[in-house]
Amino acid sequence: MKRRSNTARKARSPARSASSAKRGKPDAIDALVTASAQALALPIDPAWRGGVRFNLQLLLMVAGRVDEFPLPDDAEPAPVFHA
Amino acid sequence: MHEAKAIDVAWSTAADIAAAVAAGRSTAESIVAAALARIRERGPQFNAFTVVTEERALARARALDEARARRDALPPLAGVPFAVKNLFDIAGLTTLAGAKINRDAPPAKRDATIIRRLEAAGAVLVGALNMGEYAYDFTGENMHYGPSHNPHDLRRMTGGSSGGSAAAVAGGLVPLALGSDTNGSIRVPASLSGLFGLKPTFGRLSRAGTFPFVASLDHTGPLARTTRDLTLAYDATQGYDPDDPVCAERPAQPVVALLDRGVENLRVAVAGGYFKGRTAEVVNAVDRVAAALGADREIEIPEAERARAAAFVITASEGGSLHLPRLRTRARDFDPAVRDRLIAGAMVPASLVMKAQKFRRWYRGEVLKLFAEVDAIVAPATPCTAPLIGQQTFMFGDTELPVRANLGIYTQPISFIGLPVAAVPVPLEPLAMGVQIIAAPWREDIVLRIAHALEMKGVVAAPRPQI
Repeated sequence: MKRRSNTARKARSPARSASSAKRGKPDAIDALVTASAQALALPIDPAWRGGVRFNLQLLLMVAGRVDEFPLPDDAEPAPVFHA
Repeated sequence: MHEAKAIDVAWSTAADIAAAVAAGRSTAESIVAAALARIRERGPQFNAFTVVTEERALARARALDEARARRDALPPLAGVPFAVKNLFDIAGLTTLAGAKINRDAPPAKRDATIIRRLEAAGAVLVGALNMGEYAYDFTGENMHYGPSHNPHDLRRMTGGSSGGSAAAVAGGLVPLALGSDTNGSIRVPASLSGLFGLKPTFGRLSRAGTFPFVASLDHTGPLARTTRDLTLAYDATQGYDPDDPVCAERPAQPVVALLDRGVENLRVAVAGGYFKGRTAEVVNAVDRVAAALGADREIEIPEAERARAAAFVITASEGGSLHLPRLRTRARDFDPAVRDRLIAGAMVPASLVMKAQKFRRWYRGEVLKLFAEVDAIVAPATPCTAPLIGQQTFMFGDTELPVRANLGIYTQPISFIGLPVAAVPVPLEPLAMGVQIIAAPWREDIVLRIAHALEMKGVVAAPRPQI
């Protein structure tokens, strides 16, 4: 496994941090729930929309912690397909 | 012929039962009949079983007795009753996976691979066990089938999602049970219910014939009241299975003959940083294990908190993808808490999930470097002892955290990279607390040897409940 390169560290830009912050905004979450539900043909009852929204916000916040971790461009994902 | 007087089926080990059957001191039928009677009598108070396979079990037991009468050599687990989390396929029965929705699924055509392997080793399947819905659970609670109850205190959680597996073994209904572990679902119930649990290396044991949850994180494994029983079940279920695409093409590496090798030559460290205990019982349990192993060195598992975050994201996303068809058509039939998490998981952008999988490989590389310095790492299994059923939060040091999401705080960063772990019970009063013994991939022998050594020293043991 290659170690993280300096280049990769530098790739963590202010733009990414800004997008990370925007991603967690309530209106952005609402828009994502609406758009994803439409794109996935997934009906969301108004009664549970709040629960979905809460969980998606939490997931995006947690995913942001992973996303901000710098990795080199050649980092391989964990699952490897064997032909 | 029923002549099981010589052996207490409820609290005997699998090893003792098999020895009694092999020696002719008991028949398999008498053992299984006694286990079935106890399941009928005591099972309801633990809400452990969702189905009892009585007819099949007795037929299987009689076949073993007939084999002995013919002087055929008996397999190593002959006559040992066992049960399985109800996400394992049992031929002729519907695989519930803890879900109301799955009641409408057709019956399974054949048994799951590791059920077949345990039965080939002479063990006798007596039923299927309660679990958290679709395994997305750390509590052992289930709104459709009711919560599993902890035999040490019926008001308390067993831990989940293999809650029925823990209740059945801790309550003396069976000496062995199978569970599954995606983020901690064997190790958390083992810890809260005072049992030994093995989460083997990812890819070691077949998952074929089990209802999936997170394909890239799912494991199967046993729970038992002794390390030897855990090891006997593990040895019987090992081996390549072409029906599970991630099952490794490795020969079986039996461990039971290695258990008594001792641990003097093993280098053991205690996980620091993220894994440092924040409650008295966690600190006490880890300290006792560390002292018994002479583990005076602390080691830092790098980026463990971020690893848990990545496991959380991958779990929700893969789980959401798996259940998307049911979320579209039968969303009202899910437990709302499970449904909302799965729907949200289906909506996580793929770019973030891929980043989590890339981080996973980086993290694996960093953690594997630690095993050049140590053979095993000791860490807590859960952040607290068994909470009350329905309890929403617990104190984690000075912080109040939700129970449901955080019982796996110490298990998730380990299963995330598939390391083998034995969860061992430190018998604290009033409730046991589990500790994880963690080794490098494919070194189940090390974690089981350490678990056995701790058991022989009396540091860990499955307490017998006052029931």
